[in-house]
Amino acid sequence: MTDDRLTEAVNAARLATLGTLVAGVAHELNTPLGAINSNHDVLRRALTRLQNILADDVVDETELAEVRRIVRALDDIMVVNNLAVDRLNQLVSSLRTFGRPDRAERDVIDIHEGIDSALAILGHDLKGRVEVVRDFEELPRIECFPHEINQVFMNLLVNATQAIAGRGTITIRTRRADGGVLIEVEDTGSGIAPKDLELIFEPGFTTRGSRIGMGMGLAIARQIVDRHTGRISVRSTCGAGTTFSVWLPQQLR
Amino acid sequence: MLVDDEPMVATALRSFLELETAWRILTFSDPLEALETLRNQNIDVIVSDFMMPNVDGVSFLRQSREIQPVATRILLTGYADKTNAIRAINEAGLYYYLQKPWDNEQLRMVIRNGIERAALFREIDRRVGDLDGAHKELQDLRRKLIRTFL
Repeated sequence: MTDDRLTEAVNAARLATLGTLVAGVAHELNTPLGAINSNHDVLRRALTRLQNILADDVVDETELAEVRRIVRALDDIMVVNNLAVDRLNQLVSSLRTFGRPDRAERDVIDIHEGIDSALAILGHDLKGRVEVVRDFEELPRIECFPHEINQVFMNLLVNATQAIAGRGTITIRTRRADGGVLIEVEDTGSGIAPKDLELIFEPGFTTRGSRIGMGMGLAIARQIVDRHTGRISVRSTCGAGTTFSVWLPQQLR
Repeated sequence: MLVDDEPMVATALRSFLELETAWRILTFSDPLEALETLRNQNIDVIVSDFMMPNVDGVSFLRQSREIQPVATRILLTGYADKTNAIRAINEAGLYYYLQKPWDNEQLRMVIRNGIERAALFREIDRRVGDLDGAHKELQDLRRKLIRTFL
């Protein structure tokens, strides 16, 4: 595949991924928005009550107790709104990191940011079902095409999430290795049959039916890693889980 | 009892209910801790999230039903799907299914009705208990009569 074709394929895959994750992201936005929405209503009610208390310029003991109650509610509202705004900021920042529309195509980056942004976008699919273990080592920043590398992390994490039918664990390990960085994504999912293992990086290979866009994730991941002169490999035990390993050089050749 | 693993949701609900009602509110981010409390305290209404770590909302409500069948069970979820709604109704004896983002006024009304419902159940239980007692007294009396006169 030429570089242009690969870029096109990566962009298509990124949009497809975001498309499938959009419901989850909307749900993730819903929680802080719901809290802010409710707080706005409480704020309105609290203000009306305070206005009523102050209407006659006299505050008696009963009203003072009421004012204290209102202040307690306002205190809670401040805390919740701070949490909610932080959450919204994190989500928007993750979506930006994942899309990187404002970054040069080729850049020197901390790959942990890309992994964390993919995890934040996948939050809804993981929550309550999949425990994520982030076993991160301090790594040098690497030169790469960030939006492509982020797509690799996303594809591997989506794959790992889908491989786990019920509850399970995804362990993401990052290490310095051979003058570059090694990233491992290990899941406790269903595993891959040995006969499928050889085909897994082939375009169009999928074990999940033939929907449009299926079966391209790992093929694109391999193309991207090849373009970075890196290496991608897989090992799996049926019924026990799968580990994908990606090695990337510190500098592009 | 409000159970949501997102403290921001539980706190937002609590600040509204504490401002507008005189109800005693307990909030929990861990459903297992909420179950522990249910074993020790009488609760009128349980409002639970669906997607939570350790145990999902439907399983939590099902277990809470076993501990306190009289408590009214409400699911407040942003994860609206038919299968889980049916599961909640069938397995957990759900009283109401509310969606996030919620409307405060509707939430208050549903909880208020839930409290009345729980109070009625308790009243019925109390009167059935009274009737059982009276029935037992009558039977004892009958036995005494038989022993004395027959």
